[in-house]
Amino acid sequence: MEPLDPIDNNSEHLGFKQEGIAGDSRASSLFTSEASRFARSLFAAKSADQLFKAICEESSRILNSTGAALYITHGAELSLKYSHGNAAAFIGWDISSNASRALYENRAVTYSAPPGIDPGSLPLSAVSVPLSANGSVIGVITLFTKKAQDNSPAEFSSIDSILLSELGETSAAALSSRKECDCENAESAARDRAELLKGYLDSFLENTADAIVTTDLNGYVTSWNKGAEKIYGFDHNEVIGQHMPFVPEFLMDSEKTFIERVALGETLKGIETIRKKKDGSMIDVSLTLSPIKNSSSNVTGISGIARDITQKKKTEKNLLRRNSELSRILFISAAMRGTLELDKLLRMVLTAVTMGDGLGFNRAMLFLRDEKQNILKGAMGVGPASHEEAWEIWAKLSLEHKSLTSILNEMDKNPNKKESFVDMLCKGIEISLESDTILTRTVKKKKAYNVIDVQKESLSDLELIQQLGTTAYASVPLISRDKVIGVLWVDNLFTRRPITEQDIEFLRIFSNQMASAIENAQLFESINSTEQQLSNIFESISDLLFFTGTDYTINKVNKAVVNKIGMPEEEIVGKKCYQIFHGMQEPLMSCPHIKTLDQGKAFIEEVEDFHLGGAYIVSCSPLFDKSGALLGTVHIARDITEQKKLREKVANAERMAALGEIAAKVAHEIRNPLLSVGGFARRLEKRLNNDLKEYAKIIVEEVGRLEEILNDTLGFVRSSRLDIKKTDMDEFIDKIITLLESAAASKEDMLVKEINEKVILQADQNRLKEALINIINNAIQATKKGTIVIRALYENNPEGIREGIIEVEDCGAGIKPEDLNRIFDPFFTTRSSGTGLGLAITKKIIESHRGRIEVKSEMGKGTKFRIYLPAQEA
Amino acid sequence: MKKILVVDDEKNILKLYETELQEEGYSVFTANSGKEALEAFDKHSPDLVTLDILMPDIDGIQILRMLKEKNPQVPVIMLTAYDYRDDFSVWGSDAYVVKSSDLSSLKETIKTILEAR
Repeated sequence: MEPLDPIDNNSEHLGFKQEGIAGDSRASSLFTSEASRFARSLFAAKSADQLFKAICEESSRILNSTGAALYITHGAELSLKYSHGNAAAFIGWDISSNASRALYENRAVTYSAPPGIDPGSLPLSAVSVPLSANGSVIGVITLFTKKAQDNSPAEFSSIDSILLSELGETSAAALSSRKECDCENAESAARDRAELLKGYLDSFLENTADAIVTTDLNGYVTSWNKGAEKIYGFDHNEVIGQHMPFVPEFLMDSEKTFIERVALGETLKGIETIRKKKDGSMIDVSLTLSPIKNSSSNVTGISGIARDITQKKKTEKNLLRRNSELSRILFISAAMRGTLELDKLLRMVLTAVTMGDGLGFNRAMLFLRDEKQNILKGAMGVGPASHEEAWEIWAKLSLEHKSLTSILNEMDKNPNKKESFVDMLCKGIEISLESDTILTRTVKKKKAYNVIDVQKESLSDLELIQQLGTTAYASVPLISRDKVIGVLWVDNLFTRRPITEQDIEFLRIFSNQMASAIENAQLFESINSTEQQLSNIFESISDLLFFTGTDYTINKVNKAVVNKIGMPEEEIVGKKCYQIFHGMQEPLMSCPHIKTLDQGKAFIEEVEDFHLGGAYIVSCSPLFDKSGALLGTVHIARDITEQKKLREKVANAERMAALGEIAAKVAHEIRNPLLSVGGFARRLEKRLNNDLKEYAKIIVEEVGRLEEILNDTLGFVRSSRLDIKKTDMDEFIDKIITLLESAAASKEDMLVKEINEKVILQADQNRLKEALINIINNAIQATKKGTIVIRALYENNPEGIREGIIEVEDCGAGIKPEDLNRIFDPFFTTRSSGTGLGLAITKKIIESHRGRIEVKSEMGKGTKFRIYLPAQEA
Repeated sequence: MKKILVVDDEKNILKLYETELQEEGYSVFTANSGKEALEAFDKHSPDLVTLDILMPDIDGIQILRMLKEKNPQVPVIMLTAYDYRDDFSVWGSDAYVVKSSDLSSLKETIKTILEAR
């Protein structure tokens, strides 16, 4: 025999014979009325125990069972909260078998005793369903021993499990709304997290030592945090709406250029600039400017984070604190992301209200209260646009026999973004809360209203009548924590079914459920956008920033880390920090990390890292949870390789200068007496004969040697004594070419002299030689298999004064335009091996000759240096 | 006969320069302080001055400025044991010679300057 259709098979147990459960609207409404009775009894419960009792007894009654048991989950355990009827005998079996399966498999599980067991005992049958709220299972309900209409034992069918699932959903909602029910209340936990997050955010903005200032695109200040107050000295009221009073006049133009760049979406990091305090004094700051984007990605403003770097240490500590908070915010909100989207939530709510399987209204709309504008604003509407559409949809839904749960699940997977006609109408509606209508009264009096006939009600909302054609409607306030956050509106335009007091009561129960969820979702939405800003800040910090757990495992990194390490974030997160940053298999002893974990305090140290290459200032600070337990650490590492190199160069230069001072003093003290000795010895040498002349000559030579040593010493410290002599360029350039020929040959370059007239210049030959060697060496470096031409000539300058010119032209790689005016700066170099001093010395030498040097270059074509020196007529 | 005023704080050096330059055919006057130099400049109206940069009483560069104020036409050659500044051109001297027991460079510079007049 073919099995009977399960719906028909079951209808008899339910007492609504020959009527499908959802296949017919009458059956559906019959169950709806049972469901509504069930819900009422649940929400009437005054205590947790009463609620447990009501759930068990009402379910048992509706499904004709002999007993029932209710369990709440604690982690993986089920703990019995209530049982009645014959349940007591089966609890042990149920927990170890049926109820546990329902819990782990998260579905309804039915059981029937196999035939032939001891006829004396009561035949056992059972159905267990999980109770889930907000996506997590909070408990299980089991019904025992089904009774047929004649009270003989029967078995639970699949329809029973579907019905019990529906009841279970209402039960779960009721349970999770009560804190004392002792179940893990997902909603309130979410709200706690949201509040915590908001608290972090506020305290971050308030407590950070950095000045966080936002301006509009014209530079007018729109927000100003405590850090800005502290650093700049202006208080909030003095700057809001002002045009950047903290930017010194002379920097205004460059500031505007920054703003223009940020307005185009660029983020400017680590700008070191100067700011003016209220008292007029100047401070050095390190500044990061990022665009503030609205939801459609247009830049609407600029956020600037300025750090007072005059007190680096102090600020660094604050930075640490700020980052520990930042990390928590980012972690928490990442966990929440996707769990509660306002849009989806609203759609779910309205679907529940209009589904036949749910509350069964024809149309529903949500209005949310906008306190700033003091209006009610249509947020979303659900329902068919016409009678035809209404019947079509309902017929389809009943045919498919979808439960509310399955529709909501489907929505979750495949959110239907198509805007319906009703939705569009709804979104256009705005009702001022100053007007007196049913909807505004719903808000002001926190009461539900049922308008039975709009024609007879003087306070009917005209806009709704005109736009929606409604003839009767009800409105219920959405109250969250004693505040009305919006209004739920329903009507039955197509079925013309009157809205009953029962309906209203049910709506009220339902609206209380959803009000807090909506508020949470709204909060999350605002947090989401704040989080985006925070994450912007996090990513825009140019220092390496990362978090680790107590076992050195990396939990989160910013973009700077990703760039530095050169691996995607997913590959870095989860690894040990010493593997990633130091390439080691165990923690690096010189890293402050170990001390921070050990002592739970922040440490700042300079770390030389050979794996990444370079020197870093690493600050490491502990991260604690609420109870004070160490969660992990926050690291900020700043690459100071360049600064360190520069610092060493400067120190070296300073040492040289000091050495120069000493050498110069010694030279002065020795040279004068030496000059007398040598000078008079020369006179003696001229007058004496034979041996004596020979002795005098020795004195002269030895003095000459000493003087040379003095010259070398002074030459070493680069004091620019000039020994100006007439210099014939022809010979001079020949000498230089001889000196550099082998260097040129190594790059297969040719050095060529081009002189068409006799050019004599006044020059210190050694210094000028040094200057030219620097230039020609650079030319050789830049040129491969090419010719380098060295010319000497005379030219009249624009004032008509004759000048001597030495020209060095190569056909090498050329100098980048942006580098061109920096090549004469000390320490500027594009080569890895250079000191960056060569051209700086060259320029100094030429200028000490009262000359000047110019350079022209074209990428890929070559470079031409011209040295201009005062002419000396031949 | 061209007159040269030699200014230096070391008497031995003055003696050496005086002797050597006289042999070159110049009439040489000496001064061993800044004050003496200014007096001698007024008294003898020299055709050229050699001046040590480091003088105990008045800085050589200051003396140079004073001499140039008195008579900018008179060339001044700066002499010193070393140069601790970079840019002698701003000092406004006519030439610059590093002190050495070999006086040939100084003599040549003097000759060049005086012949150019």
